[in-house]
Amino acid sequence: MTTKMVEVINQLGIHARPAAKIVRNASMFDSHITLTVDGDTVNAKSIMGVMTLAACRGTMIEVQADGDDEREAVAGIVQLVLDGFGED
Amino acid sequence: MSDIPGSDELTVARFYKILGSKLELVPVDLETGFTNLVRSPDISRPGMALTGYIQHFLHERIQIFGETEITYLNSLSDSEREFALGRIFETPIYCSIVTKGLPAPSELIAYSRSSDSALFLSTRDTTPLIHDLTDLLDEVFAPRTSVYGSLVEVFGIGLLVTGKSAIGKSESVLGLLERGHRLIADDRVFISRIRGILVGRGDSRMGHLMEIRGLGLVEVSNFYGIRAVKERQQVQFEVRLEQWSQDNQEFDRTGLVQKVNNILDISIPQTVIPVLPGRNLTLLLEIAVMNHLLVRQGRNIPREIEDNLINRILDKETDQERRTDMTGG
Repeated sequence: MTTKMVEVINQLGIHARPAAKIVRNASMFDSHITLTVDGDTVNAKSIMGVMTLAACRGTMIEVQADGDDEREAVAGIVQLVLDGFGED
Repeated sequence: MSDIPGSDELTVARFYKILGSKLELVPVDLETGFTNLVRSPDISRPGMALTGYIQHFLHERIQIFGETEITYLNSLSDSEREFALGRIFETPIYCSIVTKGLPAPSELIAYSRSSDSALFLSTRDTTPLIHDLTDLLDEVFAPRTSVYGSLVEVFGIGLLVTGKSAIGKSESVLGLLERGHRLIADDRVFISRIRGILVGRGDSRMGHLMEIRGLGLVEVSNFYGIRAVKERQQVQFEVRLEQWSQDNQEFDRTGLVQKVNNILDISIPQTVIPVLPGRNLTLLLEIAVMNHLLVRQGRNIPREIEDNLINRILDKETDQERRTDMTGG
């Protein structure tokens, strides 16, 4: 199990486009990956799940993965968030 | 009309065979000029040229002799008429039509014969004949291509289903026919661009055949009757079926991205659907078309959801800032 905290930095937060990026990225790994915000945990491979987080700028997200490629999976998603999903 | 040839092979003989009955054409001489090629979908009214202004005479087009031309020619003396027609026949004319059931002047018949130019009589009025003629020739001269895939009319929309062979195109299309939609072409779709729209059809010599792996060739109208087949249909929307793989996550998860495909310089919206065992492709194709119908009506559901979500996120952020300010102050 690998866990890492990351802060949302892009202006619009995790709206549909960033959610799709997370899901696309997560789906490339075999590990079970979850995102947790304020005790609310969702599957990172589910677009609807990730969208329900409605995470705004400044939100702290706990990225957790369990499986053979858990380290790469967590690192990949954390990087996406840190890059602001390529947005402002 | 599905056996319309490409423009490179349209001889006067074929032109007569295809359009003769619709345009009510009667050849003055069967055979004369029949090997000439029709080179343009446009027509020419030779009136001005007959009066002597031949600088811009468009001899490479089909010449239409309507009432104006014929009454003018008949108003001339024999020698003047001979001269007027002789002057336009100095440039090669491949085909002429005399309309409205008017008699062709003997000089026109003679010049047509001596220059191996086809001459037809038609009982139809000039303007409607010209409209039908250019309509039909536009189609013959339309830019065309062929696409591997199937064309089905689903809820009135021309759906082009593409994807690699053996991905399940034919099977999913068969499912659509089962549900009351109509097949235009399977495997190879011939598409022409006619006045800004894409028109697709199959190979008329093949009927509405489909190849189903394991069953071989099946003729669709034998199973589903005439309601399941259609000759031609505008191509409006494309669904490309793609093999799903974990490495290929490039397909759209939200429906926010509208891809397009360019066919003969016309863009049509395209949706990529990943194929997985157990997915009901027929159902997915129907849903894709309904989605397309919604977008055409100005409803873009993913866009609406996205706008809502962004508003919620921004509200949340404002709330949080307010709370921080309160605790800070």
